[in-house]
Amino acid sequence: MATDKELRIGIAELAPVILSGFCESLRKIKGFKPNITEVSDRESLLSLISKKEIDILIANPTFGGLLHPDDIRRASKNPNIRIFAIELGKLSKQALSLYDDHLHVTDDLESIKNKIISVCKFSDNKTDDKEALSNREKEIVALVVRGFTNQEIADKLFISIHTVITHRRNIAKKLEIHSATGLTIYAIVNKIVDLNDIKL
Amino acid sequence: MTENGPYTPDDKMATLISDDYRLLQVLSRFGIPLGFGDKTVKEVCKDRNVDCLTFLTVINFVTKDSEEKPSASGLSLTSLLEYLKQSHVYFLKFCLPAIRKKLIEGITLKDSDVSFLILKLFDEYVDGIREHMEEEEANLFPIVVSISNGDIVGKDRIYVYSRHHEEVGSKLKELKKIIIKYCPLAANANTLNDALFDIYRCEEELSSHCKIEDLLLLPALRNAINHIS
Repeated sequence: MATDKELRIGIAELAPVILSGFCESLRKIKGFKPNITEVSDRESLLSLISKKEIDILIANPTFGGLLHPDDIRRASKNPNIRIFAIELGKLSKQALSLYDDHLHVTDDLESIKNKIISVCKFSDNKTDDKEALSNREKEIVALVVRGFTNQEIADKLFISIHTVITHRRNIAKKLEIHSATGLTIYAIVNKIVDLNDIKL
Repeated sequence: MTENGPYTPDDKMATLISDDYRLLQVLSRFGIPLGFGDKTVKEVCKDRNVDCLTFLTVINFVTKDSEEKPSASGLSLTSLLEYLKQSHVYFLKFCLPAIRKKLIEGITLKDSDVSFLILKLFDEYVDGIREHMEEEEANLFPIVVSISNGDIVGKDRIYVYSRHHEEVGSKLKELKKIIIKYCPLAANANTLNDALFDIYRCEEELSSHCKIEDLLLLPALRNAINHIS
Protein backbone atom coordinates (compact mmCIF):
# COMPACT_ATOMS: atom_id res chain seq x y z
CA MET A 1 0.00 0.00 0.00
CA ALA A 2 1.67 3.15 -1.19
CA THR A 3 0.35 5.68 1.22
CA ASP A 4 3.83 7.14 1.55
CA LYS A 5 2.99 8.86 -1.73
CA GLU A 6 1.93 12.45 -1.34
CA LEU A 7 -1.84 12.75 -1.51
CA ARG A 8 -3.09 15.84 -3.25
CA ILE A 9 -6.34 16.70 -1.56
CA GLY A 10 -8.74 19.53 -2.27
CA ILE A 11 -11.31 20.49 0.36
CA ALA A 12 -14.36 22.49 -0.62
CA GLU A 13 -16.22 23.48 2.54
CA LEU A 14 -17.38 26.88 3.69
CA ALA A 15 -17.88 26.25 7.42
CA PRO A 16 -14.48 27.03 9.00
CA VAL A 17 -14.93 24.60 11.90
CA ILE A 18 -15.62 21.67 9.60
CA LEU A 19 -12.89 22.74 7.17
CA SER A 20 -10.14 23.00 9.77
CA GLY A 21 -11.44 19.85 11.44
CA PHE A 22 -10.94 17.81 8.28
CA CYS A 23 -7.56 19.38 7.51
CA GLU A 24 -6.34 18.68 11.01
CA SER A 25 -7.67 15.11 11.01
CA LEU A 26 -6.10 14.26 7.63
CA ARG A 27 -2.71 15.54 8.80
CA LYS A 28 -2.93 13.39 11.91
CA ILE A 29 -3.48 10.12 10.05
CA LYS A 30 -0.35 8.01 10.24
CA GLY A 31 1.19 7.08 6.90
CA PHE A 32 -0.61 9.84 5.03
CA LYS A 33 1.20 12.75 3.47
CA PRO A 34 -1.62 15.08 2.58
CA ASN A 35 -0.96 18.15 0.49
CA ILE A 36 -4.18 20.04 1.17
CA THR A 37 -5.60 22.92 -0.81
CA GLU A 38 -8.64 24.67 0.62
CA VAL A 39 -11.07 26.33 -1.73
CA SER A 40 -13.68 28.81 -0.71
CA ASP A 41 -15.80 29.28 -3.80
CA ARG A 42 -17.00 27.51 -6.90
CA GLU A 43 -14.61 29.28 -9.28
CA SER A 44 -11.51 28.51 -7.24
CA LEU A 45 -12.65 24.88 -6.94
CA LEU A 46 -13.03 24.50 -10.71
CA SER A 47 -9.76 26.29 -11.30
CA LEU A 48 -7.97 24.02 -8.80
CA ILE A 49 -9.17 20.71 -10.24
CA SER A 50 -8.70 21.74 -13.84
CA LYS A 51 -5.17 23.06 -13.37
CA LYS A 52 -3.68 20.77 -10.75
CA GLU A 53 -3.77 16.99 -10.56
CA ILE A 54 -5.86 16.42 -7.47
CA ASP A 55 -6.17 12.84 -6.15
CA ILE A 56 -9.05 13.41 -3.79
CA LEU A 57 -11.67 16.09 -3.51
CA ILE A 58 -13.59 16.32 -0.27
CA ALA A 59 -16.59 18.51 -0.93
CA ASN A 60 -19.66 19.72 0.80
CA PRO A 61 -22.39 18.81 -1.72
CA THR A 62 -24.04 22.18 -1.20
CA PHE A 63 -20.79 24.02 -1.75
CA GLY A 64 -21.26 27.09 -3.95
CA GLY A 65 -24.66 25.94 -5.09
CA LEU A 66 -25.12 22.29 -5.99
CA LEU A 67 -22.09 20.91 -7.82
CA HIS A 68 -22.68 17.63 -9.57
CA PRO A 69 -19.80 15.16 -9.04
CA ASP A 70 -19.91 14.30 -12.74
CA ASP A 71 -19.29 17.94 -13.60
CA ILE A 72 -16.29 17.87 -11.31
CA ARG A 73 -14.97 14.67 -12.89
CA ARG A 74 -15.43 16.19 -16.30
CA ALA A 75 -13.56 19.35 -15.39
CA SER A 76 -10.82 17.50 -13.55
CA LYS A 77 -7.31 17.32 -14.94
CA ASN A 78 -6.90 13.96 -13.19
CA PRO A 79 -9.48 11.63 -14.80
CA ASN A 80 -9.27 9.32 -11.77
CA ILE A 81 -10.10 11.95 -9.20
CA ARG A 82 -11.99 10.48 -6.24
CA ILE A 83 -14.73 12.60 -4.77
CA PHE A 84 -15.95 12.34 -1.20
CA ALA A 85 -19.07 14.11 0.00
CA ILE A 86 -18.99 15.72 3.40
CA GLU A 87 -22.08 14.20 4.90
CA LEU A 88 -24.03 16.22 7.42
CA GLY A 89 -27.02 13.92 7.42
CA LYS A 90 -29.02 15.89 4.88
CA LEU A 91 -28.40 13.97 1.71
CA SER A 92 -30.52 11.26 0.15
CA LYS A 93 -28.99 7.88 -0.61
CA GLN A 94 -29.39 8.55 -4.31
CA ALA A 95 -27.46 11.82 -4.06
CA LEU A 96 -24.69 10.14 -2.07
CA SER A 97 -24.38 7.37 -4.64
CA LEU A 98 -23.01 9.91 -7.11
CA TYR A 99 -19.88 10.25 -4.97
CA ASP A 100 -17.12 7.70 -4.59
CA ASP A 101 -17.83 7.69 -0.86
CA HIS A 102 -18.74 10.09 1.91
CA LEU A 103 -17.08 11.27 5.10
CA HIS A 104 -19.26 11.96 8.09
CA VAL A 105 -18.33 14.71 10.54
CA THR A 106 -18.46 12.14 13.31
CA ASP A 107 -16.04 9.73 11.57
CA ASP A 108 -12.95 8.89 13.58
CA LEU A 109 -9.44 8.97 12.08
CA GLU A 110 -9.37 5.23 11.50
CA SER A 111 -12.57 5.18 9.47
CA ILE A 112 -11.53 8.23 7.43
CA LYS A 113 -8.27 6.47 6.66
CA ASN A 114 -10.01 3.23 5.69
CA LYS A 115 -12.51 4.97 3.45
CA ILE A 116 -9.78 6.84 1.63
CA ILE A 117 -7.66 3.72 1.23
CA SER A 118 -10.51 1.63 -0.09
CA VAL A 119 -11.73 4.23 -2.56
CA CYS A 120 -8.31 5.20 -3.82
CA LYS A 121 -7.07 1.58 -3.87
CA PHE A 122 -3.51 2.65 -3.20
CA SER A 123 -1.39 0.25 -5.04
CA ASP A 124 1.87 0.25 -6.87
CA ASN A 125 0.45 -2.18 -9.32
CA LYS A 126 -0.37 0.20 -12.10
CA THR A 127 -2.49 -2.11 -14.19
CA ASP A 128 -4.86 -2.98 -11.36
CA ASP A 129 -5.27 0.62 -10.43
CA LYS A 130 -5.64 1.77 -13.97
CA GLU A 131 -8.28 -0.75 -14.89
CA ALA A 132 -10.58 -0.61 -11.91
CA LEU A 133 -13.90 0.80 -12.99
CA SER A 134 -15.88 3.00 -10.65
CA ASN A 135 -19.40 1.94 -9.77
CA ARG A 136 -20.76 4.60 -12.08
CA GLU A 137 -18.64 3.32 -14.93
CA LYS A 138 -19.86 -0.21 -14.31
CA GLU A 139 -23.44 1.04 -14.45
CA ILE A 140 -22.68 2.61 -17.80
CA VAL A 141 -20.99 -0.53 -19.14
CA ALA A 142 -24.09 -2.52 -18.17
CA LEU A 143 -26.33 -0.16 -20.10
CA VAL A 144 -24.03 0.03 -23.13
CA VAL A 145 -23.91 -3.73 -23.54
CA ARG A 146 -27.68 -3.95 -23.16
CA GLY A 147 -27.83 -1.81 -26.27
CA PHE A 148 -28.89 1.56 -24.87
CA THR A 149 -27.79 4.65 -26.77
CA ASN A 150 -25.79 7.43 -25.09
CA GLN A 151 -28.91 9.58 -24.92
CA GLU A 152 -30.97 6.79 -23.32
CA ILE A 153 -28.20 6.20 -20.78
CA ALA A 154 -28.09 9.92 -19.98
CA ASP A 155 -31.87 9.96 -19.44
CA LYS A 156 -31.83 6.85 -17.27
CA LEU A 157 -29.02 8.07 -15.01
CA PHE A 158 -30.10 11.72 -14.93
CA ILE A 159 -26.80 12.92 -16.31
CA SER A 160 -25.92 14.83 -19.46
CA ILE A 161 -25.01 13.06 -22.67
CA HIS A 162 -21.57 14.70 -22.47
CA THR A 163 -21.00 13.05 -19.13
CA VAL A 164 -21.97 9.69 -20.63
CA ILE A 165 -19.50 10.24 -23.46
CA THR A 166 -16.76 11.22 -20.99
CA HIS A 167 -17.45 8.09 -18.94
CA ARG A 168 -17.34 5.95 -22.06
CA ARG A 169 -14.06 7.49 -23.09
CA ASN A 170 -12.59 6.83 -19.64
CA ILE A 171 -13.88 3.25 -19.69
CA ALA A 172 -12.30 2.61 -23.10
CA LYS A 173 -9.05 4.09 -21.86
CA LYS A 174 -8.98 2.09 -18.65
CA LEU A 175 -9.91 -1.26 -20.20
CA GLU A 176 -8.28 -0.70 -23.58
CA ILE A 177 -11.50 -2.06 -25.03
CA HIS A 178 -13.14 0.00 -27.73
CA SER A 179 -15.61 -2.32 -29.42
CA ALA A 180 -19.10 -3.13 -28.22
CA THR A 181 -18.42 -6.86 -28.53
CA GLY A 182 -15.26 -6.55 -26.44
CA LEU A 183 -17.14 -4.61 -23.79
CA THR A 184 -19.86 -7.27 -23.74
CA ILE A 185 -17.28 -9.99 -23.10
CA TYR A 186 -15.79 -7.91 -20.29
CA ALA A 187 -19.21 -7.29 -18.76
CA ILE A 188 -20.27 -10.96 -18.86
CA VAL A 189 -17.01 -12.29 -17.46
CA ASN A 190 -17.01 -9.70 -14.69
CA LYS A 191 -20.69 -10.35 -13.99
CA ILE A 192 -21.68 -6.75 -14.61
CA VAL A 193 -24.55 -8.03 -16.72
CA ASP A 194 -26.47 -11.21 -16.89
CA LEU A 195 -26.31 -13.08 -20.15
CA ASN A 196 -30.10 -13.13 -20.36
CA ASP A 197 -30.20 -9.34 -20.47
CA ILE A 198 -28.25 -9.17 -23.69
CA LYS A 199 -29.46 -9.78 -27.17
CA LEU A 200 -26.53 -11.51 -28.80
CA MET B 1 17.49 -10.86 -35.67
CA THR B 2 20.09 -10.88 -38.42
CA GLU B 3 23.62 -12.02 -38.02
CA ASN B 4 24.78 -10.43 -41.21
CA GLY B 5 23.27 -7.34 -42.67
CA PRO B 6 22.51 -5.20 -44.41
CA TYR B 7 22.43 -7.60 -47.31
CA THR B 8 23.96 -6.87 -50.68
CA PRO B 9 23.21 -8.12 -54.22
CA ASP B 10 26.17 -10.50 -54.01
CA ASP B 11 25.03 -12.35 -50.88
CA LYS B 12 23.79 -15.87 -51.39
CA MET B 13 20.01 -16.06 -51.29
CA ALA B 14 20.16 -19.15 -49.08
CA THR B 15 22.20 -17.24 -46.48
CA LEU B 16 19.35 -14.79 -45.99
CA ILE B 17 16.93 -17.51 -45.01
CA SER B 18 19.33 -19.28 -42.71
CA ASP B 19 19.99 -15.94 -40.96
CA ASP B 20 16.35 -15.10 -40.49
CA TYR B 21 13.58 -17.54 -41.35
CA ARG B 22 11.01 -14.70 -41.43
CA LEU B 23 12.44 -13.78 -44.81
CA LEU B 24 10.75 -16.83 -46.31
CA GLN B 25 7.57 -14.77 -46.33
CA VAL B 26 9.25 -11.91 -48.16
CA LEU B 27 10.60 -14.22 -50.82
CA SER B 28 7.30 -15.84 -51.55
CA ARG B 29 5.55 -12.47 -51.70
CA PHE B 30 8.01 -11.31 -54.33
CA GLY B 31 7.18 -14.49 -56.23
CA ILE B 32 10.56 -16.10 -55.58
CA PRO B 33 10.22 -19.88 -55.05
CA LEU B 34 12.68 -21.98 -53.07
CA GLY B 35 15.25 -24.14 -54.82
CA PHE B 36 17.64 -21.39 -55.84
CA GLY B 37 20.78 -23.41 -55.04
CA ASP B 38 23.84 -21.27 -54.52
CA LYS B 39 22.67 -18.33 -56.57
CA THR B 40 23.19 -14.81 -55.32
CA VAL B 41 20.40 -12.35 -54.57
CA LYS B 42 21.15 -10.51 -57.80
CA GLU B 43 20.97 -13.68 -59.90
CA VAL B 44 17.75 -14.94 -58.34
CA CYS B 45 16.08 -11.55 -58.72
CA LYS B 46 17.07 -11.42 -62.36
CA ASP B 47 15.71 -14.94 -62.97
CA ARG B 48 12.37 -14.04 -61.38
CA ASN B 49 12.15 -10.56 -62.90
CA VAL B 50 12.16 -8.86 -59.49
CA ASP B 51 13.82 -5.47 -58.99
CA CYS B 52 16.89 -6.30 -56.91
CA LEU B 53 17.14 -2.94 -55.13
CA THR B 54 13.49 -3.08 -54.08
CA PHE B 55 13.86 -6.65 -52.89
CA LEU B 56 16.95 -5.83 -50.82
CA THR B 57 15.39 -2.67 -49.39
CA VAL B 58 12.41 -4.69 -48.15
CA ILE B 59 14.66 -7.49 -46.87
CA ASN B 60 16.90 -5.06 -44.99
CA PHE B 61 13.89 -3.18 -43.69
CA VAL B 62 12.14 -6.30 -42.37
CA THR B 63 15.26 -7.70 -40.68
CA LYS B 64 16.26 -4.43 -39.10
CA ASP B 65 14.49 -3.78 -35.83
CA SER B 66 15.35 -0.11 -35.67
CA GLU B 67 12.88 2.65 -36.49
CA GLU B 68 15.37 4.28 -38.83
CA LYS B 69 13.79 5.55 -42.05
CA PRO B 70 14.90 3.55 -45.06
CA SER B 71 15.85 5.18 -48.31
CA ALA B 72 13.05 4.96 -50.84
CA SER B 73 15.01 6.27 -53.79
CA GLY B 74 15.24 4.12 -56.86
CA LEU B 75 12.58 1.66 -55.74
CA SER B 76 10.49 -0.09 -58.35
CA LEU B 77 6.83 0.70 -57.74
CA THR B 78 5.82 -2.35 -59.77
CA SER B 79 7.85 -4.78 -57.65
CA LEU B 80 6.77 -3.12 -54.42
CA LEU B 81 3.14 -3.25 -55.45
CA GLU B 82 3.37 -6.94 -56.30
CA TYR B 83 4.88 -7.56 -52.89
CA LEU B 84 2.08 -5.68 -51.11
CA LYS B 85 -0.65 -7.40 -53.13
CA GLN B 86 0.76 -10.80 -52.22
CA SER B 87 0.93 -9.72 -48.56
CA HIS B 88 -2.78 -8.94 -48.66
CA VAL B 89 -3.47 -12.36 -50.14
CA TYR B 90 -1.38 -13.95 -47.39
CA PHE B 91 -3.21 -12.18 -44.56
CA LEU B 92 -6.75 -12.50 -45.91
CA LYS B 93 -6.65 -15.90 -47.56
CA PHE B 94 -4.18 -17.73 -45.40
CA CYS B 95 -3.05 -16.27 -42.09
CA LEU B 96 -6.32 -14.94 -40.63
CA PRO B 97 -8.53 -17.89 -41.73
CA ALA B 98 -5.96 -20.26 -40.20
CA ILE B 99 -6.10 -18.38 -36.89
CA ARG B 100 -9.90 -18.48 -36.96
CA LYS B 101 -9.85 -22.21 -37.42
CA LYS B 102 -7.53 -22.67 -34.46
CA LEU B 103 -9.59 -20.29 -32.35
CA ILE B 104 -12.75 -22.28 -32.98
CA GLU B 105 -11.01 -25.46 -32.06
CA GLY B 106 -9.34 -23.90 -29.02
CA ILE B 107 -12.19 -21.98 -27.43
CA THR B 108 -15.48 -23.40 -28.52
CA LEU B 109 -17.24 -25.13 -25.75
CA LYS B 110 -20.82 -26.16 -26.01
CA ASP B 111 -23.20 -23.42 -24.85
CA SER B 112 -20.45 -20.93 -24.22
CA ASP B 113 -21.64 -17.50 -25.22
CA VAL B 114 -18.34 -15.88 -24.35
CA SER B 115 -16.61 -18.17 -26.87
CA PHE B 116 -19.17 -17.09 -29.41
CA LEU B 117 -18.48 -13.44 -28.61
CA ILE B 118 -14.71 -13.89 -28.87
CA LEU B 119 -15.17 -15.38 -32.30
CA LYS B 120 -17.48 -12.52 -33.20
CA LEU B 121 -14.82 -10.06 -32.06
CA PHE B 122 -12.24 -11.84 -34.19
CA ASP B 123 -14.55 -11.73 -37.22
CA GLU B 124 -15.19 -8.03 -36.70
CA TYR B 125 -11.48 -7.49 -36.51
CA VAL B 126 -10.86 -9.46 -39.71
CA ASP B 127 -13.68 -7.55 -41.43
CA GLY B 128 -11.91 -4.31 -40.51
CA ILE B 129 -8.61 -5.54 -41.96
CA ARG B 130 -10.32 -6.84 -45.09
CA GLU B 131 -12.13 -3.57 -45.59
CA HIS B 132 -8.89 -1.63 -45.20
CA MET B 133 -6.99 -3.87 -47.61
CA GLU B 134 -9.78 -3.94 -50.18
CA GLU B 135 -9.99 -0.18 -49.99
CA GLU B 136 -6.27 0.02 -50.71
CA GLU B 137 -6.56 -2.41 -53.59
CA ALA B 138 -9.50 -0.54 -55.08
CA ASN B 139 -8.20 2.99 -54.62
CA LEU B 140 -4.54 3.21 -53.67
CA PHE B 141 -3.04 0.48 -55.84
CA PRO B 142 -4.49 1.81 -59.14
CA ILE B 143 -2.92 5.18 -58.29
CA VAL B 144 0.43 3.42 -57.78
CA VAL B 145 0.05 1.77 -61.18
CA SER B 146 -0.78 5.04 -62.89
CA ILE B 147 2.06 6.89 -61.18
CA SER B 148 4.50 4.16 -62.18
CA ASN B 149 3.26 4.71 -65.73
CA GLY B 150 4.03 8.41 -65.45
CA ASP B 151 0.52 9.67 -64.76
CA ILE B 152 -0.05 11.55 -61.49
CA VAL B 153 -3.84 11.57 -61.39
CA GLY B 154 -5.15 11.03 -57.85
CA LYS B 155 -1.88 11.84 -56.10
CA ASP B 156 -3.64 13.89 -53.40
CA ARG B 157 -5.46 10.83 -52.14
CA ILE B 158 -2.40 8.81 -51.20
CA TYR B 159 -1.81 10.55 -47.88
CA VAL B 160 -5.06 9.28 -46.37
CA TYR B 161 -3.89 5.68 -46.17
CA SER B 162 -1.16 5.81 -43.57
CA ARG B 163 -3.65 7.20 -41.04
CA HIS B 164 -5.74 4.02 -41.19
CA HIS B 165 -2.86 1.90 -39.99
CA GLU B 166 -2.89 2.88 -36.34
CA GLU B 167 -6.48 1.72 -36.04
CA VAL B 168 -5.62 -1.72 -37.44
CA GLY B 169 -2.98 -2.19 -34.74
CA SER B 170 -5.11 -1.12 -31.78
CA LYS B 171 -7.92 -3.52 -32.69
CA LEU B 172 -5.61 -6.51 -32.66
CA LYS B 173 -4.23 -5.43 -29.31
CA GLU B 174 -7.76 -5.42 -27.93
CA LEU B 175 -8.51 -8.87 -29.29
CA LYS B 176 -5.35 -10.33 -27.78
CA LYS B 177 -6.04 -8.76 -24.45
CA ILE B 178 -9.59 -10.05 -24.34
CA ILE B 179 -8.60 -13.60 -25.18
CA ILE B 180 -5.85 -13.58 -22.59
CA LYS B 181 -7.89 -12.01 -19.82
CA TYR B 182 -11.43 -13.13 -20.43
CA CYS B 183 -11.38 -16.33 -22.42
CA PRO B 184 -13.41 -18.97 -20.61
CA LEU B 185 -12.04 -22.42 -20.02
CA ALA B 186 -10.32 -23.48 -23.19
CA ALA B 187 -11.71 -26.49 -24.98
CA ASN B 188 -8.19 -27.25 -26.08
CA ALA B 189 -5.45 -25.29 -24.35
CA ASN B 190 -2.70 -26.26 -26.79
CA THR B 191 -4.68 -25.16 -29.80
CA LEU B 192 -5.67 -21.92 -28.08
CA ASN B 193 -2.03 -21.18 -27.25
CA ASP B 194 -1.16 -21.96 -30.82
CA ALA B 195 -3.82 -19.50 -32.00
CA LEU B 196 -2.42 -16.86 -29.67
CA PHE B 197 1.14 -17.43 -30.92
CA ASP B 198 -0.21 -16.95 -34.43
CA ILE B 199 -2.01 -13.77 -33.39
CA TYR B 200 1.19 -12.33 -31.96
CA ARG B 201 3.09 -13.26 -35.09
CA CYS B 202 0.34 -11.89 -37.30
CA GLU B 203 0.45 -8.66 -35.34
CA GLU B 204 4.18 -8.30 -35.97
CA GLU B 205 3.77 -9.12 -39.63
CA LEU B 206 0.90 -6.68 -40.04
CA SER B 207 2.84 -3.94 -38.33
CA SER B 208 5.80 -4.61 -40.61
CA HIS B 209 3.46 -4.63 -43.61
CA CYS B 210 1.96 -1.27 -42.61
CA LYS B 211 5.43 0.16 -42.09
CA ILE B 212 6.45 -0.93 -45.58
CA GLU B 213 3.44 0.92 -46.95
CA ASP B 214 4.11 4.03 -44.86
CA LEU B 215 7.90 4.18 -45.04
CA LEU B 216 8.63 2.68 -48.45
CA LEU B 217 5.58 2.83 -50.68
CA LEU B 218 4.40 6.35 -49.84
CA PRO B 219 7.89 7.94 -50.01
CA ALA B 220 8.55 6.04 -53.25
CA LEU B 221 5.28 7.44 -54.61
CA ARG B 222 6.24 10.96 -53.55
CA ASN B 223 9.62 10.57 -55.25
CA ALA B 224 7.93 9.36 -58.43
CA ILE B 225 5.45 12.26 -58.34
CA ASN B 226 8.27 14.79 -57.90
CA HIS B 227 10.14 13.13 -60.69
CA ILE B 228 7.16 13.33 -63.06
CA SER B 229 6.21 16.92 -62.24
